[in-house]
Amino acid sequence: MATVPKPRSLWRSSLQAREVRLAWFLLLPTALIVLGLVLFPAIFSIWISFHKVGLDNLGSVFTAPFVGLDNFKAVFNDFAFKFQNIRQVGAAVTTIIYALVATVLTLVLGLIAALLLNRPFTGRGIIRGIFLFPYVAPVVSVAFVWKWLLDPRPSGVLNNVLMTLGLIDIPKAYLATRGLALPLVILFQGWRYFPFAMLMILARLQAIDSTLYEAADVDGASVWQKFLYVTLPELRYVLGAIFLLRLMWTFNKFDDIWLLTGGGFGTSVLPVLTYQFSFQTRDFGKGAATAMIQLAILVVFLVIYVGIVMRNVDEE
Amino acid sequence: MANRAAARPRTGTFIDQLAGWLNWWRFIYLLGLIIFLFMILFPFYWMVSSSFKTGAEIAGRTPVYIPSALRLNAYRELFNPAWDHFQNFGVNVLNSIKVAIPTAIIAVILASFGAYAIARLKFRGKELMLNSVLIVYLLPAVLLIIPLFAMLSQLSDRLGFNVQDNLSVLVLTYLAQTLPVALYMLTSYFRTIPDEIEQAGLIDGCSRIGVIWRITLPLAIPALVTVGMYTFMIAWNEFLYALVFLNDRAMFTMPIKINAIFNDPSPRPNVVMAASTIMTIPVIVLFLAFERFLEEGLTAGGVKG
Repeated sequence: MATVPKPRSLWRSSLQAREVRLAWFLLLPTALIVLGLVLFPAIFSIWISFHKVGLDNLGSVFTAPFVGLDNFKAVFNDFAFKFQNIRQVGAAVTTIIYALVATVLTLVLGLIAALLLNRPFTGRGIIRGIFLFPYVAPVVSVAFVWKWLLDPRPSGVLNNVLMTLGLIDIPKAYLATRGLALPLVILFQGWRYFPFAMLMILARLQAIDSTLYEAADVDGASVWQKFLYVTLPELRYVLGAIFLLRLMWTFNKFDDIWLLTGGGFGTSVLPVLTYQFSFQTRDFGKGAATAMIQLAILVVFLVIYVGIVMRNVDEE
Repeated sequence: MANRAAARPRTGTFIDQLAGWLNWWRFIYLLGLIIFLFMILFPFYWMVSSSFKTGAEIAGRTPVYIPSALRLNAYRELFNPAWDHFQNFGVNVLNSIKVAIPTAIIAVILASFGAYAIARLKFRGKELMLNSVLIVYLLPAVLLIIPLFAMLSQLSDRLGFNVQDNLSVLVLTYLAQTLPVALYMLTSYFRTIPDEIEQAGLIDGCSRIGVIWRITLPLAIPALVTVGMYTFMIAWNEFLYALVFLNDRAMFTMPIKINAIFNDPSPRPNVVMAASTIMTIPVIVLFLAFERFLEEGLTAGGVKG
């Protein structure tokens, strides 16, 4: 890395030792916090998922009885988790649908927004700032606003609009209707997180070599062809990266669904189920087992994704 | 764009000029922008406008799109002790500040120490450390909160402090959530600062610490601001950990308090919206003030959220 050759002298080794010591000293607080409050708990939760831990023995958790795979069996047999029929798909399937569809929606909206803001025009800076509002605003505020816009009473905005237009006769409880709640929660995800995709895509768009477009113009390419054969291939890597990141985060998302529907009406996803098992029925072992299953599904997805999609990107 | 419009003969009416300026693509762009702006801004407009509505305007049969007057009833309920259903929201604002500002400051300090070590000093295992930090991206918050809850209950019994309703515990858990990403962002930024500048400082007789303090940190101010803002926003907006760790209304941070008001048996959406407005405005203002820095940071580090 360093291009300047370092002076070699007798005290070089002691200087190096001092540097190493300084490095560890500087890293120590961060390392302690991450080890103690992230890595150790992550491993500890594997341990918890194989033990019976409830509210009664939380104070003496290290002596909790070992129960083998009982927690996992309890989760797999829980009606909230398992696939029963096409109307009751269970939390595992719901989570996968939710994460995949919401991620794709976020990407598409982000791509459209980035294309809208790519060319300079008066007021672009302000509009780009506004486009980021949903992403920076607190989730509690925006979730409750949305919940109230979708209010089941006739005074709810969506009900009012649809009834005025004559599209529905009686007010609907959108977030409390199976089949409507999940699409709406996904729509909310798209609304809230498209700015993240937009920013990353915009940064890449601005870096595309303009001679590529000039060459396409010379060849007489239409706007659509330029998008398809110049823009999209240039964006492929960043789109793949955003897809990966957002998939992981949406998969692990708790707040949005909890605040909008409380996990009811076909929106029960694994993070919500983990919370409910742990902090509502106070069965921490079962909760940890749910989280482990969630992590396992996520890792399988990532391995498939990195193995197939990313490899194809590299080869082409 | 303006040139072409001006080049046209100015004989027609405004509509003619508009028609000359507008072509098919411009129309699609404009329509797209308007749809996006409306979708984004309407919920925010609804939040702010509803906070000024009266109970009657809220409870009517049809939604009131424009409040009849800027009534402060909802805000009085939040802050005025003499008002009915006084919420004492000031305490919750203060709690959020007490959590978010220390989190931001400590995260910036610790992460810049660590990031400097990884970016500049030579020692074994630093790439491993930087990459393993990214595993945190994978771990869901709900997975960590169970063992954290169990661990901290143990510790609190031994050491004699309260885990529940303890804002310092909350700061610590937020640090654990934000430090890895902060470390990653700052490391990438420090690596863009040329090493030669520091070498020059060292040759001129500065100590390592002097070099960090006088040369590296001033150059890294955009990144430090980004990390500070990002951790502040995470702590300010965080919901799940606060929900689990806080039981006492006097210790609630704003998100939990708003949740509590929302779930009140007698629903008062105008109060919820007033509280949400108060919580949202500082974030939006800070964001707009530091937008240039933040966008750099958001795209450089891929902020978790």
